[in-house]
Amino acid sequence: MFGTLRLQRLPSSHPGIALAARVAAIFIALAVAGIGIALAGMNPIELGGRVISASFGSTFGMEDLGVLVIPLILTGLAVAVGQQIGAWNIGAEGQFYAGAFAASAVGLFVPGPQWMILILMFIAGVVGGAVWILVPTLARAYANVNELITTLLLNFVATLLVYYVSTGPWRDRSGMANSATPPLSADVPYFWGIVHWGFPIAIGLAVVVALALAFSKWGYEVRLVGSNPSAAKYAGIPVRRHLITVMLLSGAIAGLAGMLEIAGTVHRLQGGISNNFGYLGIMVAVLARGSPLGVIFSGALMAFILNSGIILQTQGLTTSVVLAITGFILFLTAIGDELSYYRITREKA
Amino acid sequence: MNETVQRFTPPSGTPPIVQLKGIAKYFPGVIANEDVDLEVMPGEIHALLGENGAGKSTLMNILTGIYQADKGEIIIDGYDREFATPLQAIAAGIGMVHQHFKLVQAFTVAENIHLGWDQTPKRASRQVLESRTAELAKKFNLETRPGATVSDLSTGEQQRVEILRVLARQARLLILDEPTAVLTPAEARELFGALREFVSGGNAVIFISHKLDEVMEISDRISILRGGRKIATKETSDCNPHMLANLMVGREIVLADMRGRGPDAAPVSEKPILVLENVSAADETGAKALEDISLQVHAGEILGIAGVAGNGQRELSQVLTGVRPVTSGQVFVDGKPMKGANAAAFAAFGIGHIPEDRLHSGLAPALSITTNAVMREYGKPPVSSGGVYNPRSALSLAKDIAAAADVTIPDFGMPVRNLSGGNQQRLVARREMRIAKRVLVAAYPSRGLDVGAINTMLRYIVELRDAGAGIILISEELEELLNLSDRIAVLYEGKVMGVVENDNLDIEEIGLLMGGRKKTKEAA
Amino acid sequence: MDILTGLLTTAFLAGGVLALAALGEVLAERVGVVNLGVEGLMAMGAITGIATVTSVPSPMLGFLAALVVGAVFGMLFAAATVLLRANQVLCGLALTLMGTGLASTIGRNYSGMPAPVTFEPVQIPLLSQIPIIGPAFFSQNILVYLIYIILPLFFSYLMFSTRHGLNMRAVGENPAAADAAGIPVNLMRFSYVTIGSALAAGAGAYLTLAFVPSWSDGVVAGRGWIAVALVIFAGYRPMMATLSGLLFGLITALGFIGQARGWPIAPAFLSMLPYLGTVAFIIVPVLAWQKMRRAMAAPAALAEPYFRDMR
Repeated sequence: MFGTLRLQRLPSSHPGIALAARVAAIFIALAVAGIGIALAGMNPIELGGRVISASFGSTFGMEDLGVLVIPLILTGLAVAVGQQIGAWNIGAEGQFYAGAFAASAVGLFVPGPQWMILILMFIAGVVGGAVWILVPTLARAYANVNELITTLLLNFVATLLVYYVSTGPWRDRSGMANSATPPLSADVPYFWGIVHWGFPIAIGLAVVVALALAFSKWGYEVRLVGSNPSAAKYAGIPVRRHLITVMLLSGAIAGLAGMLEIAGTVHRLQGGISNNFGYLGIMVAVLARGSPLGVIFSGALMAFILNSGIILQTQGLTTSVVLAITGFILFLTAIGDELSYYRITREKA
Repeated sequence: MNETVQRFTPPSGTPPIVQLKGIAKYFPGVIANEDVDLEVMPGEIHALLGENGAGKSTLMNILTGIYQADKGEIIIDGYDREFATPLQAIAAGIGMVHQHFKLVQAFTVAENIHLGWDQTPKRASRQVLESRTAELAKKFNLETRPGATVSDLSTGEQQRVEILRVLARQARLLILDEPTAVLTPAEARELFGALREFVSGGNAVIFISHKLDEVMEISDRISILRGGRKIATKETSDCNPHMLANLMVGREIVLADMRGRGPDAAPVSEKPILVLENVSAADETGAKALEDISLQVHAGEILGIAGVAGNGQRELSQVLTGVRPVTSGQVFVDGKPMKGANAAAFAAFGIGHIPEDRLHSGLAPALSITTNAVMREYGKPPVSSGGVYNPRSALSLAKDIAAAADVTIPDFGMPVRNLSGGNQQRLVARREMRIAKRVLVAAYPSRGLDVGAINTMLRYIVELRDAGAGIILISEELEELLNLSDRIAVLYEGKVMGVVENDNLDIEEIGLLMGGRKKTKEAA
Repeated sequence: MDILTGLLTTAFLAGGVLALAALGEVLAERVGVVNLGVEGLMAMGAITGIATVTSVPSPMLGFLAALVVGAVFGMLFAAATVLLRANQVLCGLALTLMGTGLASTIGRNYSGMPAPVTFEPVQIPLLSQIPIIGPAFFSQNILVYLIYIILPLFFSYLMFSTRHGLNMRAVGENPAAADAAGIPVNLMRFSYVTIGSALAAGAGAYLTLAFVPSWSDGVVAGRGWIAVALVIFAGYRPMMATLSGLLFGLITALGFIGQARGWPIAPAFLSMLPYLGTVAFIIVPVLAWQKMRRAMAAPAALAEPYFRDMR
């Protein structure tokens, strides 16, 4: 009657379907979370309402969101930039800490006027992140060692390093806090409420990267290398040079995220400054399908999810639930991405 | 042709070994097979003829259980069968040697022979497998080295391993997909002898090819496929190449003389435009790929490079386009020595390149058509100026190239992999022709294309030649080289075995050179 | 003498986690699937082990429960990557996030609690009397013998000396060739990914039931990732993977001894050793093993989804 239905895989996916898959993934994940909450004896609708009113119902709520958006956009941008050249930067978390570490060194020990310290911290953060990705970058560029694991392992080293200095040689000896440094000598000025200037910086950086990729000769070459290094080689593009540059840029952006977080939000170096920002950045990049502009929006979405987790801590939920839900969304998105290549056609009877 | 082996005639009433009835198979946007009937009798070598894309490989993949037919029946020895998996087809006595060998490169010959075979002993150590393989090789009279790793073998040797694998599983129907593409003329003759011996025992062979002469030589009957349908089945004795070509393509083809020059064509230049002087080069693993090569190409001439694939052609095209540095010797373009691996400089100097594998080296499949079209000119005005890339100018250039290539494109933003192979190749060709002011290096430009697309490609090359560029044409189709080249160089194991004028050429001679025998007379 | 014995004992004990997880990953990667969810699987196995043991006082049951949990998650992962052919890297990262997140959530109730029952050492008669090696290896808990002797020998033999192993390795090298030869590619991939995941979770249970032995948030501490790296270092071979695990156990043991004996290096830096060591061990061999490259090479079709009906 209808003829036979046939499932076919196309060579390219429809971007609209990929987007729809992401939306569906988020809804399904939230639905599952809702079921989980209901099973635990709480009312998911009521909780959801509470989260929304807490997030959007007051300026304080919006500011909390804004503060979270900054590092998420930046780590998402860092991962997305890496993907443009075909590299998996799973080390954004470590580069974040490395940037924070370097910036703290400046902020704690370099004397000078505020504006100069701030600039030096900025540079230190960027350089710190780049240095932290240097070894995996060189290993990938010269020995073709997969950067996924090398960048990731250095995450643990970075967190240990920060833990060591903030509870050891750099710790604040003047009082209660035994696990953090004294306040840094410079702060990133506030932009809106408690949201600091990192907010426009993050958005601006994402826009600049997007423009560079689309409207510059360098951007064209980077996109080509990322998509097919062999073809780039045949076109005479210096593949290795671009690989190194872009990976270092990716690390630098993540390092910047770390610097902005300690200089703008936390104001001292301590163990837990990152709320898994580096790992959530991967989700941000994947949700945005690798687009530097898209990262702005998926970063905001991720901030909302993370913020919800924080709000619900009062109800007994931990932020590790956010991690699990994010993982689930990532899982469904990966499946959805693959399914978006398929099309159902009807064969005439 | 000397028939030294007795021809097998089945007693009357014997059912065909295999019968296909009404087979149909569809892929997204493409009818791969429609209403195909085929029958193969015991003792017969049955040729399946058709151009690229006619549906020959698909049909055979259905017969061997890799694909499932959307419609139709498969009948083996009179019984209706369905092959849901390749294993079932193998069990029914059907064995196929694919065009792209299904061998595990990292395994040894013995391991490959015993793969997925229920007769392999459960305890299968290296020695056990190798001794069993030696026995099999002796039984079927196929020379092979059981302990060698497949990636170390020549393509001819690898093909023997594939055949041995299939015979060991007691195939009664042997299917060969374009087997002579990787063989020298002499090796091809050896293969034909082995096939005749195989069918003399009551077995059968399906021989897939697009080469008319070969098909006339080896087969008893010929079935022609076109556009996924079977057009005709004829006794070979009733056929001639001209009629087969027409059936294959569906219209009268005129085999044009492409070597003739019109009045406006640029003459062959006195001084060579491209010179390789004692050039040696290594491949990716560092092994010697080119050894002491000296070649000259003149403007307005086509130099053909003959040879079985894998004898250094890839490295040669890379050296000619600046992608690979030479380990010794010099490359001169228009008298100027070219330094090392600087593909951009070579391109800027007017050297274009149609690569052997366009999806791997010539295009970025996931990126848009526009991005791919401007790959050679993105850095210059009007597409870019002062480091700024102008997408609108890029689109305009892409439209020009698509128009010249006669490719209709609904959306220039869609990934280039959405286009058909023929369209992709034409796009790449016109893109390269725009920058190939001095030299064009074309590597296997007709590979994987149907006759119409091939003709277009060759016309482009002639057009460029007449405009005054020097062309290097690397091809595995001797016919194509003979049609187009002014001179032909033969490549064997990285060395130039000889360069001959294309004047009443002796195919035997070229065949010998391709097989590694030194030439007897020198060309100017 | 004392230091050496202590060092070796800790090395075997600590290395067991990595050896078991690495072995599981070798199986998955040999059929062409890279499973980056090992870290998450380990976390789930770790919490399952502890949770089981607080209800039922049998460490073996805790271990088996972890294997089951690992297998279930493994099947989810396999369904996505082998059957639906979704991107393996993304699915693996997702599995790690899910596993780590879930384990942390469940683990709040068990935080810092030592395991009520653990795997006790078993003295092998005669062999445990040998000086140094005796107490170091032959007086360990029963899982150690499983991890260092039984499993690697079994899988080594299976993979390299049997018909099944030949077919299995072909799936990872060239699935199209394996398919044409009649080998059930998807079934092989699905099965070995599941088994590998079960072993990874088992390694987590070993962590909380035999090595530490207790649960705390973040107890896995990246060992899953080290195990994935070790597979590359070990050239995708079961015996080498086990030895690599032991090597890292040695590095970890050195760190412990350093802390216990008050070496002048801060504990944090000693803790960094395994991670830095792993990075070094991924990079250096690539440079040094030019000749052995073929013997240690990855399966040719690793991480590529297999589409049979591909035009």
